[in-house]
Amino acid sequence: MRTSRRLLLKAATLGAGAAALAGCERVVTAVNREFFGEGLPPKLALPSGTEIDPEFHLLSRAAFGPWPGDVQRVKKMGREAWIEEQLHPDTITDTACDLRAERFESLYFSAGDVYEFRKPVLRDEITRHSLLRAIYSRRQLFEVMVEFWTDHLNIDLEKGDCIYLKPSDDRDVIRKHALGNFHDLIRASATSPAMLVYLDGKSNKVRRKTDDKPNENYARELMELHTMGVHGGYTQDDVREAARCLSGWTFDPKRFFALNQSEAFFKPDWHDDGSKQVLGQTIPAGGGRGDLDRLVDMVCSHASTAHFLALKLCRRFVSTTPQDSLVKRVAAEFTRTRGDIKCVLRLLLNSAEFMASRGQLLKRPFKFMVSAMRALAADTQAEKPVLEPLQRMGHGLFQYPTPDGYTDDELPWMGTLMWRWNFGMAIAAGRQPGVRVDLHELGKVLRDGAEQTSPSRWFAHLVGRAPKPEELKNLGAGDERQTPGLILAGPAFQRC
Amino acid sequence: MKDKPPDSSSRVPLFKGVKLMSTFTRRALISKLALAAAPAFAAVPREESHTLIHVFLRGGADTLNLWVPYADDNYYRLRPSLSIKASEAIKLTDRYALHPAMRPLEAAFKEGRLGAVQSVGVDNTTGSHFECQDMMEHGDTMNGVPAGGGWLGRFLRLRAVDKQSPLCAVAIGTALPESLRGAPAASVLERLDDIAIRTPSGDSAAAVKALKAMYGADVTLLGERGLETLDLFQRVSALQGKDYQPENGAVYPKESFGSGLREIARLMKARLGLQVACIDLGGWDTHFFQGNATGQQAERIKLLAEGLAALDADLKGHRGRYTMMVTTEFGRRVYENASLGTDHGRGFALMALGDRVKGGQVIGSWPILADDDVNVNTPGPGGLHLETDYRHVFAEVLRGSLGLHEKEALKLFPGVPPKAVGIM
Repeated sequence: MRTSRRLLLKAATLGAGAAALAGCERVVTAVNREFFGEGLPPKLALPSGTEIDPEFHLLSRAAFGPWPGDVQRVKKMGREAWIEEQLHPDTITDTACDLRAERFESLYFSAGDVYEFRKPVLRDEITRHSLLRAIYSRRQLFEVMVEFWTDHLNIDLEKGDCIYLKPSDDRDVIRKHALGNFHDLIRASATSPAMLVYLDGKSNKVRRKTDDKPNENYARELMELHTMGVHGGYTQDDVREAARCLSGWTFDPKRFFALNQSEAFFKPDWHDDGSKQVLGQTIPAGGGRGDLDRLVDMVCSHASTAHFLALKLCRRFVSTTPQDSLVKRVAAEFTRTRGDIKCVLRLLLNSAEFMASRGQLLKRPFKFMVSAMRALAADTQAEKPVLEPLQRMGHGLFQYPTPDGYTDDELPWMGTLMWRWNFGMAIAAGRQPGVRVDLHELGKVLRDGAEQTSPSRWFAHLVGRAPKPEELKNLGAGDERQTPGLILAGPAFQRC
Repeated sequence: MKDKPPDSSSRVPLFKGVKLMSTFTRRALISKLALAAAPAFAAVPREESHTLIHVFLRGGADTLNLWVPYADDNYYRLRPSLSIKASEAIKLTDRYALHPAMRPLEAAFKEGRLGAVQSVGVDNTTGSHFECQDMMEHGDTMNGVPAGGGWLGRFLRLRAVDKQSPLCAVAIGTALPESLRGAPAASVLERLDDIAIRTPSGDSAAAVKALKAMYGADVTLLGERGLETLDLFQRVSALQGKDYQPENGAVYPKESFGSGLREIARLMKARLGLQVACIDLGGWDTHFFQGNATGQQAERIKLLAEGLAALDADLKGHRGRYTMMVTTEFGRRVYENASLGTDHGRGFALMALGDRVKGGQVIGSWPILADDDVNVNTPGPGGLHLETDYRHVFAEVLRGSLGLHEKEALKLFPGVPPKAVGIM
């Protein structure tokens, strides 16, 4: 048996272990509030217009909704400057979030070593980590893009060994390249152990002197879902030829004595080394492991890929039916910069179309929950009871079964309203297990010296605009305890 | 330690010298004739109001004592103390009989509404409860290409483009079963009262009124869906807080399995768009003192039969709207062990109940093939040889109950084209 590094770690920390943990979490909260700005500002200026405030809008799309005080911060520095800051996450200090989210051991192990963990632990850690980052990170645009790529390069923990391999995929593929270059992202994903298992690249072999047929699963999804799109102009022959290019790349966690045990590797005798014709170009025979790079470059540079990615980004950030002119401009920027994700986002978020689309998207359950917790400056460790509503709403993290990832379409998410209402009202009433909110404090900040926090102030804080008279009327009597929950449950908060 | 059966050559037919079977019930025969010409995957119209009730017997149920092959001497030879005597069993056909504790379900069989498929299973050879359950719930096999999510979750996701009720999938209990992973909406609840709009004051009326006003004022699809959801909620709350009176004299067992089934009946009667209901019954891992006509396993069988019969009676006015499917992760060894129990085996008898079920029969070849000793030739535990891939049964049950199309079936179980089993 292998010595378990994890067991050693466990033994070493046993003394200071479980008993202290609960107390430790409270300390983290206190420290974060006191020193790292996780608390409430003394005063909040509220949007008063009838349309959603521009900064609020930006924070609703390029972030998971504003944390109290964020809107003022963006107003002060300017939207463009804020976008620029967000595009360079390394320049943003994220200590408060790190204190909450950096403690999940399994996320630091290599793909091969994660096999030491039990499955429920792995599921728990990667899920909690993502939720905590989304709520607390100040690198909000980065986290938003992590969510985007996690859907785009979807991997379901429940398939085969993926649960052991997704932690390194999340770290070395998604997070590493979330704001980097698209080509690098796809190149990393193509040889990510998790992807090799999820889409069967692992068993794509064409051994010489056999009638082995390549496994086309990954090659197909690479073109259909990851790059060119289903009508991107490739043929079934292209899929087969691409699969030949990719043959031989595999992963085997049981290669005990290999130096790169935890990485994917190239098995030359599984590789079809003949010449290939992909998308009208010839990849000459004898390319070996380099075939993969040539293929990735070819599909990433294809014009259809720029259009497909532009459309997908516009659907996520602007509208489910974005204007052609915007998609074209975004695609052109994608092509011009050879897939520089920062440049593409900069153009998109600064576009007039983006600003004109206020309130037109439906929040998916994850964003609904995260934005509610952020708006109320909630304190959570993202334990099971907080993840449960996500499951109930069909948006369990890393649990989408098929490679197309959770959808941006609205209709499939509209069956989740009952659970949204319950979550909204529970959290505002302080009754959502695993989440602490202090509405009294927040109300005090919001009312700015007045006797009571009026429903219209709560509304403006949560929705980013003044309520219409009938919206105010529909909220009913201004019972302070009831109002915030009802606003979170109402239709305006479901949109962003 | 173990008593070796006298004739221990492995991989011999379990049953020898049995005559042709001829006692289909009339109804089953008629339905068989009527459908003889139907293709394996005839399109069945999609029906929103049909519910698949999926009962999972956790622990590997010994279905040989549930569906007793009384016509075989080997069964009695290999189970000197654990077999169900022919005189005690409820005879169904000239091959099979039911365990006496299955009495409450006898009528359903005679009516042609209850049937079974013998020797169903997953190709997993580990004999591990966890692995076999896991594979079966994900719709995977040991040698096949795994697919993501649970099989029911995947199925519901295929349908997610349509309007789905927030209560389209419900699991009775406290944890989401793996089979529902990936579903567009899946609720875990123990009681119908868990579905509630909770407000700080405890009174939901004011909140409902406000929600109605807010969503009513929204002219988009969101507003429409909000009002539909409120309507659904109000139908659920109308059922809450009252003592539920089962109909047609149905008496549910007192155990949590019984109350779980009762909640399923309530959900179904309220027509909330329930498509899949999952419920577990544990306690089938009978390695020690399994018992026979009475004893440990008989108690479980009694609970199962009384529960299903109560649900069937309670829903008498809704027949045609539900299909029950009872599965387990594996069957058990044919021979009894030295501690008067049975060890992990392979194939099991999967049963289904409902108006759409082609009941009145136990499907499967005769004699049943089995290893009657510890297997030597095949990897994994011995027991009934797998004759029917469980995915073929699952797909057929989904086709018959919720109208799974052939195209969908290929997405649900990639690489497994549907094959007619004959139970639906």
